[in-house]
Amino acid sequence: MSQSAARARVRLARERRPVLTVLAVAAYLIMIGPVIFVVAVAFTAGSTITFPPEGFSLRWFGAAADYGPFLDGLWTSLLVAAGATVIALAVGVPATLAIHRGRLPGRSVIQNLFLSPIVLPELVLGLALYQQLMVGLGVTASGVLLVGHTLLLLPYAVRVTGASLTLADPALEEAARGLGAGPVTTFFRVTLPVLRPGIAAAAVLGFVTSFNNVPLSLLLQGSGTATLPVAMLQYVQTSYDPVVAAVSVVLLAASVVVAVIAERLVGFNKIFGGIGS
Amino acid sequence: MSRRNAVLLLAPGLALLLFGFLLPSVMMLFHPPDTPPLDVGRRLGEMLTDPFMLKIIWRTLRIGLIVTAVCLLLGFPVAYLLARSTSRWSGLWLALAIFPLLLSNVVRTYGWLVVLGSKGVLAQALTGLGITDHPPQLLYTEAAVVAGLVQLFLPLVIVSCYSSLSGIDVRLEDAARGLGASRSATLRLVLLPLAMPGAVVGATLVFAGAATAYTTPVLLGGTRQMMLSLQLYNYSSVTIDWAGASAVAILMTVLVFAVAGASAWAGRKRVTV
Repeated sequence: MSQSAARARVRLARERRPVLTVLAVAAYLIMIGPVIFVVAVAFTAGSTITFPPEGFSLRWFGAAADYGPFLDGLWTSLLVAAGATVIALAVGVPATLAIHRGRLPGRSVIQNLFLSPIVLPELVLGLALYQQLMVGLGVTASGVLLVGHTLLLLPYAVRVTGASLTLADPALEEAARGLGAGPVTTFFRVTLPVLRPGIAAAAVLGFVTSFNNVPLSLLLQGSGTATLPVAMLQYVQTSYDPVVAAVSVVLLAASVVVAVIAERLVGFNKIFGGIGS
Repeated sequence: MSRRNAVLLLAPGLALLLFGFLLPSVMMLFHPPDTPPLDVGRRLGEMLTDPFMLKIIWRTLRIGLIVTAVCLLLGFPVAYLLARSTSRWSGLWLALAIFPLLLSNVVRTYGWLVVLGSKGVLAQALTGLGITDHPPQLLYTEAAVVAGLVQLFLPLVIVSCYSSLSGIDVRLEDAARGLGASRSATLRLVLLPLAMPGAVVGATLVFAGAATAYTTPVLLGGTRQMMLSLQLYNYSSVTIDWAGASAVAILMTVLVFAVAGASAWAGRKRVTV
């Protein structure tokens, strides 16, 4: 940053902005406040969602661990998220390479096609898969669930790895080929190291997106394929005890761990800050 | 890379998109299971003349627009203050604004049950302060749905406004102030026009998300605040009315695309003014 910009920045930062500050504080309260109350309620000794909590106990954590659908749901969610992330990357990374290095006609059309599943509302995508693949063709619920989640993650895989590929100089790959390396060696020794941050970012983003998804998982649940968020949603709709608050605290702790991993791998703000653009 | 190799690398992805996405989506419009041909069109026509359905469409549009407006109103200041901050904590504050995106929508929405429930934070505060003996019904109202959706989508607006605001040269703003423009004039004439592209992207994402969300409306609004997403789920998984579900899917998609197109158009117009 030049000196004049630095001085301008300091001058502007010194100004008081009362209206903007009040609005910003309100924004943080709305984003964070309800989550803090969930944490408080999770440790209640009472049996309803009441505030302030009645006494302190860990009984709802025990109740959550004993409730079968949550454990089954957790297992399903982890399997689907891991499977969909791996397939989306296995399909998406080669496609990204072809889009950026393939000198194909209609490149931008192909790229937009790969980004298109994200444009359709998730419930609509879920309905299409449910109607046509599960009911129409009789594909199993777990198979369609995996296809749906893979489609959901494919745009992230192509966009995020594509962004890191555009930073790489194609001349490096050409040099490797010119020095006698085959296409496979060139990919693993030259291209892949460049892509690694992008792949790591897409993997973290994809895993979290799939794990938390409700619309697809809800429409595509067969017997025994309810994911954890769907099991939680259905529990909250029928009973009013704080067991879901306890599960929420566990998920919150897991999200903090994921955030720390993301920060170590590529940078937390870098991975998740790209969602809105 | 030879053209043949490029096609081979694309093939698995194209197959997945064709059989997993394009064909099912198109088939859903024309041929839902167990439905006579053209039934989707007939149901769509019925819905557009049914006062009950029109009310649901109008509520979906209204909630989507209100949520978008509130998100911009609250999210832009956060993005601005973070982009202009010289504090070394600003990275942490940005991370705190992004962090909720990692957390399941069910968890975030559950928080509002604790806040707005009949024995929740707000009801207890109102009775505790002696403002009222019988706290008003807070859950299952339109305001509850709006609050829940604003919480979900604020991070998206903050992130997209932040990325365009942090690209604006601070000296432009400083010069406008130095030449005598008031703060609000600087905001209106310098910052907003330059920040518009990011804000339009953010607003479009928020509307699309809010108008098609399921978790938050079902938990905070329930059947008293029916939206298109709840109706789609009812048709597809409760009453098994395939043509009806397809027709609602069309309505939802058209609504999102129409508003996205309108906001892109408005954003372009604003920039050239």
